[in-house]
Amino acid sequence: MAESARSKVLVIPCSGIGKVHGLVAREATYRVVEGLEPETSDTLCLALLVKGDEEAVTAVRTRPCITIDGCPKLCSYKNVQLAGSNIAESVRVVDAFKGHKGAQPGTATELAEDGWSITDEIAQQIAARVREMCGGEEQ
Amino acid sequence: MSMAKEPIKVGIISCAGEEIPEGTISRLAVRRVLEHLRPGQTVSICLPLFLAGNEGEREFARSFPTITIDGCDKRCAQWGTEKHSGPVNAAFVVTQMLKDAPPLSGARSGRDLTEADLAAVELVAAQLAAALDQAAATYAGGEQVAVEASSACGCAVGLPSGAVQVNGKTVEIAGLPLIFRQCQEDGLAADSPDAPARLLEVVCVYHAVDDSEAQAYAAALVEAYRTSLASDR
Repeated sequence: MAESARSKVLVIPCSGIGKVHGLVAREATYRVVEGLEPETSDTLCLALLVKGDEEAVTAVRTRPCITIDGCPKLCSYKNVQLAGSNIAESVRVVDAFKGHKGAQPGTATELAEDGWSITDEIAQQIAARVREMCGGEEQ
Repeated sequence: MSMAKEPIKVGIISCAGEEIPEGTISRLAVRRVLEHLRPGQTVSICLPLFLAGNEGEREFARSFPTITIDGCDKRCAQWGTEKHSGPVNAAFVVTQMLKDAPPLSGARSGRDLTEADLAAVELVAAQLAAALDQAAATYAGGEQVAVEASSACGCAVGLPSGAVQVNGKTVEIAGLPLIFRQCQEDGLAADSPDAPARLLEVVCVYHAVDDSEAQAYAAALVEAYRTSLASDR
């Protein structure tokens, strides 16, 4: 694994498939690792980690992690923690929704405009945290 | 009046791999089956929740037909399901399903999916739907019991159901005899202090129970479970 990959912050969403919140978590992750902080962040399959894949377990133990969970079951947070990671930040999509009463986020399949807006808001929050963790200036 | 048979529910467990484009295809194909191709006949389960030990969801996969779909050859969904709940009815890997299809764009986000990616979703979803029909038919002893929904009555139900009395209402719960049988095989006694929560947990996986009625459901399930155990003696 290249040095740059080793130092990247891991942003790990929950894999939620039944509700829009899981999709928001997933899309916020991609917004961060592909759009906002591609040089300093990356993602990981949560199921692979839960399966006990050696490389995945090593990655979460040696790299800073941010978890994003759609629902209060906190699958990502709990499983990353269980794998031995010292989680730097745990983001809950349900909390982000509290500031958007009446929003129409879309479905578990496809986000609507409100859903993308909440997704971007979460992504900005995570990206700021990634910059902070990487020693950059928080904007 | 035409009779509508209640379709057998088939579980689809998807890897939803966040790291790879095929994980996105897998997730979207499952959603396509759930919402459009086989609505009402399919249930899905969050894989990490399943792997991390939600007994209720594992219980379903033990008792009902289950299909897995993985994005890559690591086969997390198949591995996890078979480890915790036994053999699956069918196991798919997106990379193999698409080996003769046009290449994917490599996009992971829904924002970036191309026509080729969406076509791949359709192709995978169609194969899942076919496997689902086959799994349901096999489960029903060779008879195809899943038919189109109608407003007709629900007699001749494919999946054995059971009735319980909740707050004076009769409530039909699909798969209840199978749930009871599984709990019995697991050694759950009706008078066990764990019985109310355990039965409710399993039933809640695929039967919506309002929080305000949870206690009444739990009591009704224990009573029905007790009767079921007594009748088996």
